[in-house]
Amino acid sequence: MNALLTQQEIALAQHCLAYAQEQGAQGVRITLSKTLMNLIGLLNGQVDKTAHALDRSLQIQLLVDGRFGTFSSNRLEQKGLEEFIRDAIGTVRMLEADSYRALPAPERLVKNAVTGRELDLYDPAYDDLTAEQRREMALQSTAWPQPGLIAEEGEYSDSVFDSLTLDSQGLYARHTETSFEIGYESTVEDAEGNHLSSYWWDATPRLKDLKLKGCAEKAFRRAKEQIGPQGVPSGKYTLIVDNECAAKLLTPVLNALGGYSLQQKNSFLVDSLGKKLFPESLTILDAPLTQGDTGCRLFDSEGVATREMPVIEKGVVKTYFLNTYMSAKMGLEPTIEDITRAKVLPTGGCSTQEDVLQKVKDGILVTGFNGGNSNPATGNFSYGVEGFLIKDGKKVHPVREMLITGDFLTLWNNLVAAAQDARPCQSKLVPTLAFKNVDFSA
Amino acid sequence: MICSKAYYFNLFQVDENLLDSLTQEGLRSGGSYCDLFFENTTYGSLLLRDGAVTSGGNHVDFGVGIRVLAGEKTGFAYSESTSPADMTACARAAAQIASAPVDVSPYGTRNPIRGEPNPAADRYPLAQPWRGVPMSSFLPFLQKLEADIQRRDTRIVKVIVNLAFQVSDILMYNSSKELKWDTRPMGSVSVSVVFQQGTQTENKSTSRSFRCGAEMLSDALIQEMAADVVKGIDERFAARRPKGGQMPVVMGAGASGILLHEAMGHAFEADFNRKGTSIFADKMGKQICPKGIQIIDDGTLAGNRGALNFDDEGIPGQKTYMVEDGVLTSYLHDRISAVHYGVRPTGNGRRESFRYAPLPRMRATYMESGTAKAQDLIASVGKGIYVDEFSNGQVQIGEGDFTFYVKAGFLIENGRLTMPVKDINIIGNGPAALADMQGVADDLAIDPGAWTCGKEQSVPVSCGIPTVLIGHLTVGGE
Repeated sequence: MNALLTQQEIALAQHCLAYAQEQGAQGVRITLSKTLMNLIGLLNGQVDKTAHALDRSLQIQLLVDGRFGTFSSNRLEQKGLEEFIRDAIGTVRMLEADSYRALPAPERLVKNAVTGRELDLYDPAYDDLTAEQRREMALQSTAWPQPGLIAEEGEYSDSVFDSLTLDSQGLYARHTETSFEIGYESTVEDAEGNHLSSYWWDATPRLKDLKLKGCAEKAFRRAKEQIGPQGVPSGKYTLIVDNECAAKLLTPVLNALGGYSLQQKNSFLVDSLGKKLFPESLTILDAPLTQGDTGCRLFDSEGVATREMPVIEKGVVKTYFLNTYMSAKMGLEPTIEDITRAKVLPTGGCSTQEDVLQKVKDGILVTGFNGGNSNPATGNFSYGVEGFLIKDGKKVHPVREMLITGDFLTLWNNLVAAAQDARPCQSKLVPTLAFKNVDFSA
Repeated sequence: MICSKAYYFNLFQVDENLLDSLTQEGLRSGGSYCDLFFENTTYGSLLLRDGAVTSGGNHVDFGVGIRVLAGEKTGFAYSESTSPADMTACARAAAQIASAPVDVSPYGTRNPIRGEPNPAADRYPLAQPWRGVPMSSFLPFLQKLEADIQRRDTRIVKVIVNLAFQVSDILMYNSSKELKWDTRPMGSVSVSVVFQQGTQTENKSTSRSFRCGAEMLSDALIQEMAADVVKGIDERFAARRPKGGQMPVVMGAGASGILLHEAMGHAFEADFNRKGTSIFADKMGKQICPKGIQIIDDGTLAGNRGALNFDDEGIPGQKTYMVEDGVLTSYLHDRISAVHYGVRPTGNGRRESFRYAPLPRMRATYMESGTAKAQDLIASVGKGIYVDEFSNGQVQIGEGDFTFYVKAGFLIENGRLTMPVKDINIIGNGPAALADMQGVADDLAIDPGAWTCGKEQSVPVSCGIPTVLIGHLTVGGE
């Protein structure tokens, strides 16, 4: 089975592009994507499930007589697609006109994403993998059995993703990426029969970099560490957030800088551009162009070229995320549809989580979130958390069934440290963070 | 909606001989059971933003998922083509799970459920279709709803109205020669409104979702949703964060059913119990909450978002009592777990699409009414909190710790609702909360919102509950 887009499939996408214009669309963008995935699931050291999947999709965005619509189908036969496009154009004509809709200016479009492999995210080793090798790798990764371990679920998976975006202005933008993943969830039982679970995972675009060994052991160790939780009084503590889950506190801030939120005034960062709303110590970059780095992309969903840029620099908001449509509605220059590879720069003189714990001495180290949400309009948040009470830079005992509550501007202005230990497998490069004076309820 | 067998066979270009040969292909390596799940889903959407319906589209998703079981082990593959060659390759990929014959067979192998689907028993007949109708016919609904909302409050600065509908044609066949078919509609309307009062900004949202046709787009729905989305905005602007900590919580009727979904429902899904991870794994037949309480998961509520004529394994939709008179009486089963526990499947084998193997999942989960009065439950609390508007929840199956996010509620002081509160998370432990249920009112309501459960896959569900009092939950605050 061919994992990558074939010349025949690419020709079909090009035909659809031309056909939509023939049928009356003044602007057309087409994204053809293909994903091949294999998965081996383990339960208690034995193969429990296997999955094999090939997905293809053709998305068509149409500008017709000042109107706009988005359509997609996974039925990639030419005759059927032609009928689908004719119907789609008819549907777009029924919508109300929108003078702000347009394709991006040609000079903003990516020019150097021709082969899909420019970012070196495709591992040729994928082509040679056999079903038996996948099974062996999965079976090698288990930590079952272990004393106290009552259930262990693991998954090895790999995939190849190939996409091509074309538009009626001549855009040709391809992105090809392999991914190899291992993940485990372990459940242990304490002396009273209580169950405690934890997980660990790793992912990489190159098979040789995948840490198969140690993942299951780490999930088991993290589960065991939770045995014996004790309560702590409600109050204000220094919050230290583990690099595994710290992105949870950054994502709402980045979302608040998105055009759709800002234009609808459903953002606590309305009118924030150029203002110093965060501490001097905080700098967040978009770093989308690093060779071999998961999550990097040369272009966004409109085909606009990404670039390295500060998002928040020394506390000052430097950019919104505005696509062509939202920038026109807001009367601002377009930027990029969304952040590609967020990267929080270190602050506070800490490299590792250990450094952060030694710096803050006392607090609560959060290693996992349990639900919660935030209000995009006000920035208020409340999350369930679990982790460890920290005294004199050391873990004292686990804590759980706790909540943190506050608002994001206050939280980030209380940032006291950001380490340099962001996990490359995460979509956002957010290291261990520490914030002072956070409300914990217990 | 249940169409003729010929409709589905023609749509997927199959016949019974082909279906049978595919299941045989799936079993060629020694598997004990094979099933096929064909799906043709068409989606449509319209978005009103800034006063105009300027965005919309259609989407098609078509394919077949093939599952092979070898005992409790699952091999799964899918194809976006229903050509015999592609489906055969897919069946061979799924067959690889079985390296040797096994003697454990899933439910149905020895007791097949025969018989054709009965259109007269359809739980979601369509009075007005979604498909084959010009999208323009739906525009006036969105425009009228937006206008009705705008006229209700001068503080409104933004309104978004979204209409989403889908219709899924489903054909299921398995190696026990059970053949079932179904066409499942779903219509959803959601509204999001931003208000400004001086320098303060607040948002509110509401949604309605049903398994029905376009007849749901009525003037009555416009009035109901417009009133709902502006209701309580004064309190929202006045709301404060409460002082956090452990306290009694009165959960209002309806959307508070999220408590049942998160605190209990997931822990009752039999796959977690089969694997030994659920905190309820050894509680079958035991008293887990006060006498008089009944907790149900129901696929039989006509037009409900969780309604099913058949689940995604071809098991007839049914009503399952999980807790009777406070005693845990049933988990929620798919075919695999039913055999593991030696019981009949409960019709909870569900999947997001043909791209996923089924898992035990909830449908409409609710608690039957009790005998107390809601006002009496509130009056019995000296210092606590009342909550009735939520956005999302989560649970840790092993530990039983659950949370849900409260968009709006009130403090209870000396038996009366006082200060409005908002944007707080509440956390508790499932077994502890069940045992700590101190009162159940007589006002069961099923929430009509667009609830979606995200356990590995997204499936539509609904929830409901009468007003209940729980003695101790931890409330986020300052």
